Amino acid sequence: MPRLMDAISVNFRIAFASILLAVLGGTLLTILRSFKIRALNVVIIVLISFIRGTPLLIQIFLFYYGLPALGLRLSPEVAGILALSLNSAVFVSEILRGSLPSIEDGQIEAATALGLSAGVIWGKIVLPQLFRKTLPMLINESTVVVKGTALLAVITVVETLRVAQQIGASTFRPFEPIIGAAILFLGLYVILTALGWAVERRHAQERR
Amino acid sequence: MHRSVVKIMALDPTVILNYWPLLVDGAVLTLRLAAIAFVGGMLIGAICATLSLLNYWPVRMVILVYLALMRGIPFIVIVFLIHFGLPSFGIRTQALVTGTVALTLYAGAYYAEIIRAAVLALPRGQWESARVIGMPPIAAARHVIIPQIISPSVPPIVNCTMTMIKESSILSAITVAELTYQGLVIQGNTFAPFEVFISLALIYWAITIAFSLLAWAYERRFGTASGRTSRMSPIAARYLDIDGKSGR
Repeated sequence: MPRLMDAISVNFRIAFASILLAVLGGTLLTILRSFKIRALNVVIIVLISFIRGTPLLIQIFLFYYGLPALGLRLSPEVAGILALSLNSAVFVSEILRGSLPSIEDGQIEAATALGLSAGVIWGKIVLPQLFRKTLPMLINESTVVVKGTALLAVITVVETLRVAQQIGASTFRPFEPIIGAAILFLGLYVILTALGWAVERRHAQERR
Repeated sequence: MHRSVVKIMALDPTVILNYWPLLVDGAVLTLRLAAIAFVGGMLIGAICATLSLLNYWPVRMVILVYLALMRGIPFIVIVFLIHFGLPSFGIRTQALVTGTVALTLYAGAYYAEIIRAAVLALPRGQWESARVIGMPPIAAARHVIIPQIISPSVPPIVNCTMTMIKESSILSAITVAELTYQGLVIQGNTFAPFEVFISLALIYWAITIAFSLLAWAYERRFGTASGRTSRMSPIAARYLDIDGKSGR
């Protein structure tokens, strides 16, 4: 169990890095799409459809086993973080896109009338409101990323599931360590979900 | 020329040409697994949703725990739990069976949520008036509630089923011979990971696109698609509209 506890911090670290990259990437994708450059949007839409239409496991395999064939060799952890963040960035951008129309037209009109630059409109008006509105959904997405980190066991990242399998292999009792891993993942999930609820409650209070 | 460009041009199509029957077998098993998980999952989902709507707290608690387990534990861990757990209870079966059970249980939890949400979205009066005019509970459910929840739950159910098709790839970890597993076998024989995994991705992509077209056709036919109907001002659309749908 102490070994599992050590390992869950690896999951946490990988998930944290991936979520940060995903929010960054997702925001970038959303802003890029707002420029409505036809060719670029077609590329982004195909990318989004591809990421949403294929299993995360296959995306991880592509990053870890596929990229070396193209001359890019990554460590398992880096390949895993990249695969998870690309996958999640797409979902983050879909979440942000879904909430965009909830921002009032008048604000953009007023900002444009004041002559504010696009950078200011995005940075000071649209994005802050967007992140506040979507925070519960983004936290929910982060639980998906945390669960995704377990998949990195298949590309030999020494995280909780992998350690559980190693313990199982050396003690010939595979079931117990897996239960331990499950409890740890469940704990992370409960913490994140509770955080999501707390945020949602606070939002509801502020709106009143 | 850059090295990676040379490498892309050196993709070896024979890898796939020689092994395509394996991929077909895998894809067929993937679809069969998804079909079983769909039927079994909908059954579990409907039962769980009904039971949790009954408002009898011990039953609700049990269902709540089941849903939390399925949503909080990564699917790959659930698969291993069931795979290694069943033998400890004296049940020894093939990976295919434990894999199917895991996928079905997992799907059931998500379908239960969808069905429950659809019922709760109906006005309360629907159920009450049906009961007041003397319909027994079964009839009220059958003639009043169920017809109204089908249409709104089709899109999330299709979505969820696509997720199950994608999650089924994880069953390769316990050697269920579905699409991903066959890909790993081919990769073991050919050492051509890029070709293999790109082909796998394309097959999954094709399957999910086919499903989303189905959902799209359904939404068009029955008009459940909802969206922003009011027009956005062109200035606001510069920032707030990224598909070019609103406005002219």
